[in-house]
Amino acid sequence: MIKKSAISIAYFLGSMAILIGLWQLISVITKAEIPSPVSTWAVFKELMAEPFYDRGPNDKGIGNNLFSSIGRVFTGFLLGSIIAIPMGMLMGASKIGMSLLNPIVQILKPVSPLAWFPLGLLAFKDSGGATIFIIAITSLWPTVINTAFGVSSIPQDHKNVGKAFGFSRWKYLTKIVIPYAMPHIFTGLRLSIGIAWVVIVAGEMLSGGVGIGFFVWDSWNGLSLEKILVAILIIGGVGLLLDKGFNALQNLFSWEGK
Amino acid sequence: MTNIETSVQFVDSANDFHKINANETSVSIKDVTVSFKGSKGTFTAIKDISLDIKKGEIVALIGHSGCGKSTLMNTISGMVSPSKGEVLANGNTVKGPGPDRGIVFQNYSLLPWLTVYKNIYEAVDSVFKDKTSIEKHELVEENLKMVNLTQHKDKLPGQLSGGMKQRVAIARAFAINPSILLLDEPFGALDALTKGSMHIELLKLWNLDNRNKTIVMVTHDIEEAIFLSDRVVVMNNGPEATIKKIVDINLPRPRNKKDIAHDPEYIRIHDELLTLLFDKFSIED
Ligand SMILES: Nc1ncnc2c1ncn2[C@@H]1O[C@H](COP(=O)(O)OP(=O)(O)O)[C@@H](O)[C@H]1O
Ligand SMILES: [Mg+2]
Repeated sequence: MIKKSAISIAYFLGSMAILIGLWQLISVITKAEIPSPVSTWAVFKELMAEPFYDRGPNDKGIGNNLFSSIGRVFTGFLLGSIIAIPMGMLMGASKIGMSLLNPIVQILKPVSPLAWFPLGLLAFKDSGGATIFIIAITSLWPTVINTAFGVSSIPQDHKNVGKAFGFSRWKYLTKIVIPYAMPHIFTGLRLSIGIAWVVIVAGEMLSGGVGIGFFVWDSWNGLSLEKILVAILIIGGVGLLLDKGFNALQNLFSWEGK
Repeated sequence: MTNIETSVQFVDSANDFHKINANETSVSIKDVTVSFKGSKGTFTAIKDISLDIKKGEIVALIGHSGCGKSTLMNTISGMVSPSKGEVLANGNTVKGPGPDRGIVFQNYSLLPWLTVYKNIYEAVDSVFKDKTSIEKHELVEENLKMVNLTQHKDKLPGQLSGGMKQRVAIARAFAINPSILLLDEPFGALDALTKGSMHIELLKLWNLDNRNKTIVMVTHDIEEAIFLSDRVVVMNNGPEATIKKIVDINLPRPRNKKDIAHDPEYIRIHDELLTLLFDKFSIED
């Protein structure tokens, strides 16, 4: 066990070394137009020296920007999931539900978050609301699809238990449908939070104000490529952590392999 | 082995209540036909089957795979409704599953995310809506004890052996205290030794309940059918399967697994069942 995790840590470090190596190479080739890892590191330390300062609307620390993005992502993701899970259950449980809702899912799923943005602005009259809206509407699909799949694939054996012992609808839902579908729902949620995190940057570049996406845009206007690179690394790192976190939740709520 | 022997002793000590109840009809299958509608038209699995089962009787349904044993049994459980005819359970027309009939499925059908205790509790909770949670708890504990699983009650089904899972399924069916117990190939997946002790366990439970419960079981196993039942119903091959023959098992109870095999009557019945099942020329009749 210990040996196994030591090996995976070693591989991870190796992987990071390759990334930094390539980065350095690109920096050399572009004659430092793309900042090198070392100069980016210097800017990173500078930003981290005071991550939470607040000097007015468009001048906040990277920490403020990051947490504001995370807050929006979770709000949008939560709203999306509140719609997605029941919708997926309905689709998985009833043929009629599936036939009626599936075409809608298929049509709306491929729409780019940017296309939704004006509609969000129109509906909420506020770019913050619009950002949350586009996160919700673009991130809910994997949860819908995976929930529907989980619910529709409940084995006959499990259904028979409910039937044979006269489970009420509520008992059937809470003791059979939800537990069985749980691992699938979490697979969906994990994909959804990933999408939400990708969408937030695009959304905030349009909406402005505060957020990691805005920070990227602002750094571009301020011609600080180092800051952009720092932001990219932070975005990637947080994305990785979100994924790991949901993976852990999935294992916690999953009965499979126990 | 010694364990099994002592269990047999226990069977010995029970009274023969069985004969007392011999006149009440528990299950009455009346002219039942079951057809399934599929993409290639209708498929008639069993046709015009009639069978009366007395209270406290143990009846085995035996026949080749796919002949319609589960289908016939499921018309009693209410999981399948007849296309023609009707089934009466305790005098009432079967319209669906009900708490007077306990089902033990072929593949245990435990819910893998619930502990042993919870698997039984949820069934009890759903059947006995008027009992308090303490009463329900006691009922579950009692049935867990009966099948010797008290110390495993917090395990998930995935952590149990096949025999243990089967005992949970049996405890669950007993816990709702049905008057009719329906077992679909209950011991099919077990090794011979476990199977043997499960037979004894089942009879023990039946005896504990004064042989009041009617038991209908599906099996492929001739020895199992003879050892456990009062009558063996042999079915023809489907489609449109019917009852080929009903063989009475007039072997005195309690039966001892070891001795019974040398009984001339046992040997005769065994031979008869073998011929009924494997005589190719008589399948077409
Ligand atoms: N729900 C169903 N739909 C269509 N055909 C079925 C269904 N259930 C059983 N059958 C068919 O009915 C026949 C009898 O099945 P079953 O009663 O399960 O047999 P057995 O239990 O004797 O092995 C089989 O040919 C099977 O394919
Ligand atoms: Mg069967």
